[in-house]
Amino acid sequence: MELTLSFLEKKKFPRSRKNYNSLASLRIHSCQGQMKIQQMAFMILAVFFFFVLVGLFFLGITFRGVGESAQQLQMEQALSSLEVIADMPEFNYYTGAAMTLDEDKLRIMSGDFSEAYEDFWPVASIKVYKVFPKPESFVKCPAVNCNYFEVYDSGQSDVQEYSTYVSVCKRVRESGRTYDRCEASKLVLGVIDVLE
Amino acid sequence: MGNKSGQFNFVWLFAIIAGAAILVLAIYGATKVGDTQRFQTDTEIAKELAILTDPLQAGFAEGSFGKITFKQETRINNICIDGNFGRHKISASTRSDIGEPWNIPGEQVSIHNKYIFSLGGASGKEYYVFSKPFYFPYKVADLTMLIPDDYCLVNAPEEISDEINFNMKKIQVENCSDKGLINVCFGVGNDCDIEVHGLCMTGCDSVYDQGTVEKFGAEMKYVGNLMWAAIFSEREIYECNVNRLMYRAGKIAEEFADKADLMDARGCNTNLKPDLLTWAGLTINAGVDDLMDLNSIGETLDKNDDLAGCGIWN
Repeated sequence: MELTLSFLEKKKFPRSRKNYNSLASLRIHSCQGQMKIQQMAFMILAVFFFFVLVGLFFLGITFRGVGESAQQLQMEQALSSLEVIADMPEFNYYTGAAMTLDEDKLRIMSGDFSEAYEDFWPVASIKVYKVFPKPESFVKCPAVNCNYFEVYDSGQSDVQEYSTYVSVCKRVRESGRTYDRCEASKLVLGVIDVLE
Repeated sequence: MGNKSGQFNFVWLFAIIAGAAILVLAIYGATKVGDTQRFQTDTEIAKELAILTDPLQAGFAEGSFGKITFKQETRINNICIDGNFGRHKISASTRSDIGEPWNIPGEQVSIHNKYIFSLGGASGKEYYVFSKPFYFPYKVADLTMLIPDDYCLVNAPEEISDEINFNMKKIQVENCSDKGLINVCFGVGNDCDIEVHGLCMTGCDSVYDQGTVEKFGAEMKYVGNLMWAAIFSEREIYECNVNRLMYRAGKIAEEFADKADLMDARGCNTNLKPDLLTWAGLTINAGVDDLMDLNSIGETLDKNDDLAGCGIWN
């Protein structure tokens, strides 16, 4: 625009008082025009940034939903795993009764043996507590009079847990008689925290 | 006047260019957001598939089945990864109306504790989930078959057709060989897409207790309920899952050997520990080709456990 104005000054406007007034008027108009362009440019930029912010706000809400939805799925996974894990051949009792765990298998799996199963579990932790008769305190197995098996712990902090009642049984032989001794227990599974 | 007109034109030109740029960016952004949401939905489908198949596991039943219906045609990409317990990498992609027939699949979901048998890129709106337990000779795992296609079992013996008596519309047994379904022939038959040959001779409930499944020129050996897995699965997925199952069978045998010690300690003798350790050594690295040989050893092991005063799994 400056180039155009210089051209106009030189070619079309001779040096007279009247023409100086016209030139001044034109310069004012030109400044106003530039102001309008700048205003429009700022307005467009403002509108652009407004939409960018709206977009970011929308994306923020959407991605917060992704995290919540992933966490919800992990919770559903833990809930459905309660039965699946209880029925796994690594835990279940030979009788084939549902939700019945083998105490011997729990002892083995809560030791070094379960290290091979590290990534196998779809949950953050697997624990089994003997709950009847109500113990004064929980003693982790292996130990004398232990009543709590920690089969797996991913080391995740603030684990949200879900539980179900199960029977923990073992086959014993007393006075020449073999029978199944079962105790009421609780299987507790931790939900993997995808937001951690 | 010419100057004003120049200003006017420039303002409009600037507004049009800036407006067009904003519009293009907005359309691009909207498309990207749409793609992201579709990717999220497809990833959720894969994860939900892992959860939905949990209650469909056979457990202690002889088998179970269920139906999963998607809102639109969906392709389930099933990649089986071998090595120790192995895992599945499941992803889902939905049918696209523009360009490529299928959208880019969502994020792969890893499943370590399931054995999913399907065709690699099976697609459909309705999937039947058919689950059968696998014993070798103790329960090793539940086999999960994902079935989007319709099958016809031709000349299936009664003991086989009884096994799928779950009102499974996708698997028909009677008068279906000329309906254009995938024909699975037991023994001989016409227009067979898949052939099942039973090879069990002695001590069997059925000749089909072990044998081979011939499918698209490939032969897959099976024992027990792996027959169903071989019928409904792609060869690579079948062999990979058999390796994973054998490894798990070996680990369970090691656990049983430790359990035998604990039982012996409280006077419940089994004498099975040496056999179990040998069995674990045999199975842990076994594959499809070893199935039939191992099956006969497993049967002997099962009989010994049954005869023991304190059985480990019987």
